[in-house]
Amino acid sequence: MEDIRAYIESGILELYVLGDVSPTEKQQVEEAALKHPEVKAELDAIEVAMESYALAQAIEPSEKEYDRVLNSLLVNLGDDRTFSKARTHTDDDHKVVPINTQRTVNFYKYGFAASVFLLLVSGVALVGLYSRLQQSNEIISSLRNQNQHFANQVNLMDEQISIFRDPSFRFVKLKGTPKSPASGLTVAWSQTKGKVMIDMADMKLPANDQQHQYQLWAIVAGKPVDLGVFDAESKSDTSGMKEMKTVEQPQAFAVTLEPRGGSVNPTMDAMMVMSAI
Amino acid sequence: MSRRSKITLTEEELVRGLRQREKVAAEALYSMYSASLYGVILRIINDEPSAEDVLQEAFIKIWQSFSGYSAEKGRLFTWMVNIARNLSIDKVRSKDFRNQTKNQGLENNVTFIDEQRNTVYKPELLGLKDLVQTLKPEQKSILDLVYFKGYTHVEVADELDLPLGTVKTRLRMAIQQLRKHF
Repeated sequence: MEDIRAYIESGILELYVLGDVSPTEKQQVEEAALKHPEVKAELDAIEVAMESYALAQAIEPSEKEYDRVLNSLLVNLGDDRTFSKARTHTDDDHKVVPINTQRTVNFYKYGFAASVFLLLVSGVALVGLYSRLQQSNEIISSLRNQNQHFANQVNLMDEQISIFRDPSFRFVKLKGTPKSPASGLTVAWSQTKGKVMIDMADMKLPANDQQHQYQLWAIVAGKPVDLGVFDAESKSDTSGMKEMKTVEQPQAFAVTLEPRGGSVNPTMDAMMVMSAI
Repeated sequence: MSRRSKITLTEEELVRGLRQREKVAAEALYSMYSASLYGVILRIINDEPSAEDVLQEAFIKIWQSFSGYSAEKGRLFTWMVNIARNLSIDKVRSKDFRNQTKNQGLENNVTFIDEQRNTVYKPELLGLKDLVQTLKPEQKSILDLVYFKGYTHVEVADELDLPLGTVKTRLRMAIQQLRKHF
């Protein structure tokens, strides 16, 4: 075949073996080699010649190069049949690692932000709760005071009611003397219990000053007996019953205005109210 | 260092072993071809440490991409030497390498290497050495420019101010000369 002969002699096969052909020419040579045995034979001869040329000019690399090359070839032999797979693996690892790191970084970043946020929120909540607790405590203590107050009042009322209910008590209404006709005072007296009470709520006496106090007297066998002092208009005393000293067999009750602390004998001029029993 | 016993396999055995990724095949590959490939690489690069790096790179690439080789397309050595040549030429043309070797003239490196070292002492190669000497200088220079310098035949034609056809003919003649010995 004339053109095959010419094709061989064109030198293209030599250039093919030397790697100096375009992709199209490469394909043409490979197709020709498949189709024509003489092309294939010519190629083989050229290759053998070039291999011999290289061998003729061969240079032994240093001894250490053997271990270096073989180690780099065989290092992955045990676990991976192909290097390309191993490489894909490494590529995957490379892809995964930064994402993981990113995630971790983000996790800690967001975690830290969330912690700070929660800390602030709980701080604010704590302050709010604390002030409400304070308010509640104030309310509780004021309620407790009020409760105490009511309980006291109820006790007082109970006491008063029991006094009023007690048949042994006699109620003596002391009337104003000519010196103070408007005055009045109720004295409750129980002979069996020997108790004397004055009704502070029903008291109608002019207010006393700091130097003076009212003094309750009982007339026993014609003689005045001291039953104690009290204040008119003193807030703690203005309600309820005030218990006075005990007396037996009184004939009359009287109240005089005396120097503070009371007197041994009543000042008759200053008698405000009295009543015989 | 003890000299290793050379492992030699037929090309067919070697190819099968490399397909199976056998250790002994890798060792045989190195034993059989490292010197030939290194001779080509060192002539292109003319710097031993870099040439050794490229030799390692070339063997790794051969090993890794061995599935890409098919015996139908040609001899194993042809496939391997093209990988080694391409890596070497890339290396020589890289910016790093050019800066590193600025002061050396690359033109005469082929003969320079041969003067410098006594290449390989192998009785069976003595005839081949003579064969290299039998090439006419104009044949050898064209073959070496293409084979060792990575020139295309078009570039050689420009460089030597020769017609393209003459370059092709001389290349073919040079290779024919080599073939006479086989």
